[in-house]
Amino acid sequence: MSQPVVLKSNPHGINLILDPDMPFTELKKEILKKFEDTDRFFKNVKIGLSFEGRVLSQEQEYEILDLIEKNTSIQVVCIIENDERIDAYYAEKIRAFEDAQAGRTGEFYKGTLRSGQVIECESSIVILGDVNPGAKIIARGNIVILGSLKGNAYAGAAGDESAFVAALDMDPVQIRIGDAIGRSADKGPLSAIKNRKKVMEPQIAIVSEDGILIEPITKGLFK
Amino acid sequence: MSEVIVITSGKGGVGKTTTTANVGTGLAQLDKKVVLIDTDIGLRNLDVVMGLENRIVYNLVDVVEGNCRVKQALIKDKKYPNLCLLPSAQTRDKTSVTPEQMVKLVDELREEFDYILLDCPAGIEQGFQNAIAAADRALVVTTPEVSAIRDADRIIGLLEANDIHNTRLIVNRLRMDMVKRGDMMSIDDVHEILAVDLIGAVPDDEQIVISTNQGEPLVGSDTLAGQAYMNICHRILGEEVPLLDLDSKNGIWSKLAGLFKKN
Repeated sequence: MSQPVVLKSNPHGINLILDPDMPFTELKKEILKKFEDTDRFFKNVKIGLSFEGRVLSQEQEYEILDLIEKNTSIQVVCIIENDERIDAYYAEKIRAFEDAQAGRTGEFYKGTLRSGQVIECESSIVILGDVNPGAKIIARGNIVILGSLKGNAYAGAAGDESAFVAALDMDPVQIRIGDAIGRSADKGPLSAIKNRKKVMEPQIAIVSEDGILIEPITKGLFK
Repeated sequence: MSEVIVITSGKGGVGKTTTTANVGTGLAQLDKKVVLIDTDIGLRNLDVVMGLENRIVYNLVDVVEGNCRVKQALIKDKKYPNLCLLPSAQTRDKTSVTPEQMVKLVDELREEFDYILLDCPAGIEQGFQNAIAAADRALVVTTPEVSAIRDADRIIGLLEANDIHNTRLIVNRLRMDMVKRGDMMSIDDVHEILAVDLIGAVPDDEQIVISTNQGEPLVGSDTLAGQAYMNICHRILGEEVPLLDLDSKNGIWSKLAGLFKKN
């Protein structure tokens, strides 16, 4: 950066673009100089101030405000946060939090999903109803269906292969968990309808070494 | 109070138009004032099935665009003066009408008729949106084939999304001999997949083809399909009618034969 301190006006006030590497005490001097140079231009204005280019601690922000108020006639009404790196930092943190929570928190959906309907969920999801052929559920976490799964389910959609899909009646067209894909056996649609199980058996689909494994939910399974 | 019923299916060729013609005629036979609206703009054929093609002067698009009054476009049925048809336009397309215009038109017709039946085009695009916009309830027609069932499922989902919840199902072209052999889905199979209440099952009957070709709906006649359609009409009026025994395909003689067999 050619200048350690740059002033840029915006609709709400001014952006103070700061050198990221210069020691803070020196930077303060530069800021003071910059404001003294432009004081006549800014005389008695009320502005919103925002900082760019450098991550400042709260104390440092207060010090700069102090500096401006004591040495110039500018009144800083508020500080507008628009530091991209801070935004990115928070977004990163939030994403990490969501990833960690995806398997643990969940949503509910009540109703049957019919052909063409798609549900996408940032966490795990519990469906109170059937998922018909042609319908699709996509979740970052796990999928639990209190009904028949006859359509498509995609758990661990962000790549988490430890996710699972459980259903009271498991007859899916396709199940995806992370990068693993399992599909139904090649039987004609009519025979699938005619030969459907008479007794519902709760089953769970997980990723094993050989791909997607579907097994009955029994007492010992979760020990 | 008048009721607006859309007859829809998603898939083409399952019998929407035939059902509209027969249910409409049946309701007229039961002394209701009925109007049928063909919303399949560009592919009109309800008028052909009703045998009224030669009477068309104005059509749905003419009414919506203000080229004529609604009364001028309505065609009276040959047999039943309390039955009217509002034909579709053949030289235009679905975009010639908007859902808002349909609602306005139907509201105008509500004042005069007990039942307004909307014959919906196949598909889920603008024609479908036009047809369902004004409907109070829907009859979903399907055949016992997986492709038709899949489309019916999609349609029921779309109807629910559009706040039409009291949907009833018509299973059309049922062949009991094939169901018995396990080569066709039964009514129970269809009902279990779609989870929507049945309002009627219509057998696959060659009499339907004959009646369609003659332009005379067969509802109310002593054919099995004619009885099935009449039963649907009674159920629309809220009466409880048991499901027809579709097995008695050859009429009274096989019934008698069946009696002797049992003994």
